[in-house]
Amino acid sequence: MTRLQESLWVEDIATEAKDSRSSKNYYIASRVNLYQIPWLHAVLESRWPQFLARAVTLIGFVFTIATGLFGSQVGSHNFAIIMVWVAWWTTLKLGFIPLGGRSWCSICPIPLPGDWLQQGGILVKGERKFGINLRWPKSLRGSWLQSSGFLLIGLFSAVTLTDPHVTGWVLLALFALAIGMSLVFEHRAFCSYICPIGGFSGMYAKAAPVELRVVDKEICAKHGDKSCYQACPWGLYPLALKDSSACGLCMECLRVCPKDNLALNLRPYGSDLGKPKSSTRLDESWLALIMLGSALAFSAVFVGPWGWLKSSAFEIGSLAWMAYAAGFLALNMLFLPALFTLCVWSWKKLSQDRFPLKRLIANHAQGLLPLGLMAWIAFTISFALPKLNLVLVVLNDPFGWGWHLLNIANISKSLDVSGFSPYLQVALLLLGVFWSANVTRKLSRSDGKHNSLPNIPVLTFYLVYSVAMLWLLVG
Amino acid sequence: MTDQNLQPQSSIRWWHWAILAALVLAVLFVPIPTGASAPTERTFRIEASRFEYTPSILEVNPGDKVTIELVATDVVHGLSIDGYGLETTADPGKTARITFIADRQGSFRFHCTTTCGNLHPFMIGKLEVGRNPFLWRMIGLVGVALFAGAWKGRK
Amino acid sequence: MIKEWLARGVIILGLVMVISIPAANKWQQSQGIVMHARMAETGGWTPENLTAEVGDPLHLRLTSDDVTHGFAVGQLDQPAVDINPGEMTDITLEFTKPGKYTFYCTRWCSVNHWRMRGTIEVTDPQVKTEPAKPPLYVTLGLNIDADHKASVTPAQMPSAWRGALLSQTVPDAYKSHDYYLAHTPVDLWLALSSEPSLKKLNDQDVWDLVAWVWQSNTSPEGVRTGKQLFAANCAACHGENGAGNGVFADQLAAGSGNTSSNQSMGEQTQRPANFTDALRMLSASPAHLQGKIIRGGMGTGMPSWGAIFTEDQTWALVAYLWTFQFQLEVNP
Repeated sequence: MTRLQESLWVEDIATEAKDSRSSKNYYIASRVNLYQIPWLHAVLESRWPQFLARAVTLIGFVFTIATGLFGSQVGSHNFAIIMVWVAWWTTLKLGFIPLGGRSWCSICPIPLPGDWLQQGGILVKGERKFGINLRWPKSLRGSWLQSSGFLLIGLFSAVTLTDPHVTGWVLLALFALAIGMSLVFEHRAFCSYICPIGGFSGMYAKAAPVELRVVDKEICAKHGDKSCYQACPWGLYPLALKDSSACGLCMECLRVCPKDNLALNLRPYGSDLGKPKSSTRLDESWLALIMLGSALAFSAVFVGPWGWLKSSAFEIGSLAWMAYAAGFLALNMLFLPALFTLCVWSWKKLSQDRFPLKRLIANHAQGLLPLGLMAWIAFTISFALPKLNLVLVVLNDPFGWGWHLLNIANISKSLDVSGFSPYLQVALLLLGVFWSANVTRKLSRSDGKHNSLPNIPVLTFYLVYSVAMLWLLVG
Repeated sequence: MTDQNLQPQSSIRWWHWAILAALVLAVLFVPIPTGASAPTERTFRIEASRFEYTPSILEVNPGDKVTIELVATDVVHGLSIDGYGLETTADPGKTARITFIADRQGSFRFHCTTTCGNLHPFMIGKLEVGRNPFLWRMIGLVGVALFAGAWKGRK
Repeated sequence: MIKEWLARGVIILGLVMVISIPAANKWQQSQGIVMHARMAETGGWTPENLTAEVGDPLHLRLTSDDVTHGFAVGQLDQPAVDINPGEMTDITLEFTKPGKYTFYCTRWCSVNHWRMRGTIEVTDPQVKTEPAKPPLYVTLGLNIDADHKASVTPAQMPSAWRGALLSQTVPDAYKSHDYYLAHTPVDLWLALSSEPSLKKLNDQDVWDLVAWVWQSNTSPEGVRTGKQLFAANCAACHGENGAGNGVFADQLAAGSGNTSSNQSMGEQTQRPANFTDALRMLSASPAHLQGKIIRGGMGTGMPSWGAIFTEDQTWALVAYLWTFQFQLEVNP
């Protein structure tokens, strides 16, 4: 039988996986193919379970927009505000991403109508397909737009997160944009290049314990008809998947492969990290840095005691807000990138590395991912956990019209999580620091001459950042 | 056959664990001087407006008898201190008072309990009772974690 | 294929349900009266004017769109209810007398909280409405806007119990309730000072007598009622200690002069009156004070409470105001 490795401490051990159909033994190091588990196989193979989950999210999404636009304008009693920014955000940061990587994308409602129009059908591909299927322009590829979108949301977050009308309109606009883009561009252009959630989900998916990969490459080499590529709504070729950042875990390729050669693997955390990359693209490095920066900024603005900071973030258009915006953008676009570049450059000098700086930055930015993931989970705990009582309130009365769907008494007292949340947050940050230091050390081993030295500059960067986050959250 | 991540045998010996445990215990239990002073009576007049408390950070010594006068300056505001379980509400024109002994040391957040507008969930202040040894110890643990992570990835 | 149509059906059915059920409920609710409360600057009450009939219960559903508000109807014996943001509160009003009632907000929601008012026009098909009687200051012909300053003031705060201890006989004319209503404390002091039987008293003793006479025209319950009304309605501007330094005082003071502080309301305002100022208070009669409370306004930012308080409540408030000038407790 196979063993599950989930602990970071245990080193990789090769396991055997038996394929019941072809009776061949595959040696897959440290991977457990979930697709082989009979009940899971049945659930993934059939399109109905996933469709029903998607139906729930789509219908829920439309309902959410309705409550945002027509319900009570009191944020804490509005279904849209609470379900999106408290409930869904918590499940995203504490569940979907750390446990499943880009798994939210498989049931996200936003691209569904566009997908269905592109396919000409919901469960069965139709003959009449819509859309002109242009290729996404090469110059706009990468995660630059997604990162910019995230920063933009950050600038207006104090209003977006608290005003039901604004949330409703923003969701409606994203919905319309996604549908429109599906009619113009091929595949999931919105998800791959515009959606900020997709941007960081994909990035953190590299650290997550789930992946979709080919089992035996020889079989693919002999298979001429690339049905997996035809089936993928993201336009990916499974054989060419190097890491998990672009795959939306929709399982279409899994279902369609005639050789049953695709696997949904459970793998150790951080499997895509720590390997020297050949690419020198800086878009992911920047996204990793702005995720760190925005976790800091949001911790200061939303859960800090500085009312003047909150007011400046809230009064959009005022002089105070412009100062806040300038500060926020400077932190994410100038200060943190410059600081990280300085650390990497110092390391380059220390280790007498001959690789170009750009490549070193792109490489070492991988080490930022675990810390960023943990910092965001810790921030979400401060931000959302005390407000979970409001989830019941809005499930009971989504519009604030006096409904009593759950027939419960009013629970307007927020949860006092101060007993355990600081310990949880500290544990997460410690895990993030340990993990990032580990990845950075692995990366440093492949650089330069003095590859036995620890990367002191970058480790110092982690130290300073973690202390700052600690102070903001539990200090 | 896939050739992913075939790594050499584990290089962590039992005494590595012992050192780690020793470091963690040291950080957690090394005595930090509390800088204690005789408990006094402190009174704070906090003006609550949308959406901040003025002052928003209160510093007291452990054992002090603290009185908080909550003055609402625009709409009805509340104040609830996490960890102490105290709560009160003030209407403009009616100052509310709570008195308690600050017997628990550390950093405690207080927040508004009456919906006062959009940013109400983020109307937060901080009560600092004495020093915050928890924070210092956790910063120490960050250093240990950093060291441990770099150590683990060395081969 | 059946699969495809089933899937489409699920989606369409779900969407239809999730849109039509709330829409139907919203339509159904609009058949009754849903009262939305907002801060005066952003709209106040919606709807602002209601109609009702005597003997016909009026059902209202109240909700707030921003902060905590309250609802009460002036001169109607109905306890105030809180209106919490995002929640629905149900209330039923029953009217026994026709007239134009004013409903108002009872939880401070901004500096313009007192402007949050609306009207309920209650008709009775059987009864003719009686004309309202004019307030006392009108009957007396008082100009309550004229400047007034006390010509004499006490050296220390007069107290009723010291006045009682003096055991002096005050002429009946000065002890009557009508005298109290129409005269200022300074009037009484001057009258008592020139009274032959009280010649041996010094100035402070006469003030104590004035306090005692004033106290005999009020009641402890009245003062208590007045204190509660003051805390709920007046303290936010006039200060908890009546010194004109409430939380909104600075905002109101900034509106004096040519510019209007109250941009949203377009009215001039001024610093709230200081009830601890002896020069002002002692030269005002209870009728004068009652007139100010009832009428308010005239470019000062003072609300008019005539439609809100009953006459008894107004006099109770006046009785409380005297406690800023006199020690009214008989047994300290």
